[in-house]
Amino acid sequence: MTEEVRTIVCDTGPVIHLAELGCLDLLADFSEILLAASVVAEIEKHHPAALSVKLPLQIRHTQNPATEHLTAMCRIFSLDRGEMDSLTIMENRSSAIFLKDDASARMVAERMGFRVHGTIGIIIRAIRRRQKSPEEVLSIIDGIPSKSTLFIKPALLKEIFSRIKKEFNI
Amino acid sequence: MKTVQTEVPEALYKKAMALVNEGWFRDEKDVFSEAIRRFLDTHQSEIMQNFIREDVEWGLHGDD
Repeated sequence: MTEEVRTIVCDTGPVIHLAELGCLDLLADFSEILLAASVVAEIEKHHPAALSVKLPLQIRHTQNPATEHLTAMCRIFSLDRGEMDSLTIMENRSSAIFLKDDASARMVAERMGFRVHGTIGIIIRAIRRRQKSPEEVLSIIDGIPSKSTLFIKPALLKEIFSRIKKEFNI
Repeated sequence: MKTVQTEVPEALYKKAMALVNEGWFRDEKDVFSEAIRRFLDTHQSEIMQNFIREDVEWGLHGDD
């Protein structure tokens, strides 16, 4: 069975988190990787090395303003410029995946009917896509607290570990 | 009430003070309390855990 590979619209956080973990290449099998210009500016400011990884990143300047509904949602949930621009791209690419770790923006994305996933999903997906072995993924997840600025409570990280081990009989 | 001493970017402070000066809030403490309350509403531990658990399942069994 051939799995569908979608466009992915990335926000700042996951790009930085994946870069910190040396895993940005896991995005390489998406058909398109779109970043809002404001997101690129944020990455340049906080983790410029992430932009030097060889990936077919496409920078999108949001020419059409966000719809009234999206603008209202972004204001209610206090989303920043990069998040709003990313969601504006999503409005025109509704079958794409929105890559985001922050809870507020994920809530807005889900309420807008978009598919949204985060850094952890991309890392674990690497097993299914045969980019990494389960053991390699466990090692990456183990490095999250020390190598990245992605904060996940230790009990939940342990749960993720057990889930992967159980799935693959490790 | 707890007293918390912290640093905020100048631009953020100016925005908070603008709301106070316009009469929307009594003082900057009220602005920051309200902002934190709203943040905490959308960042409840349970919500964040559910997002990550959904991610794990998608990572393992998604179709894209």
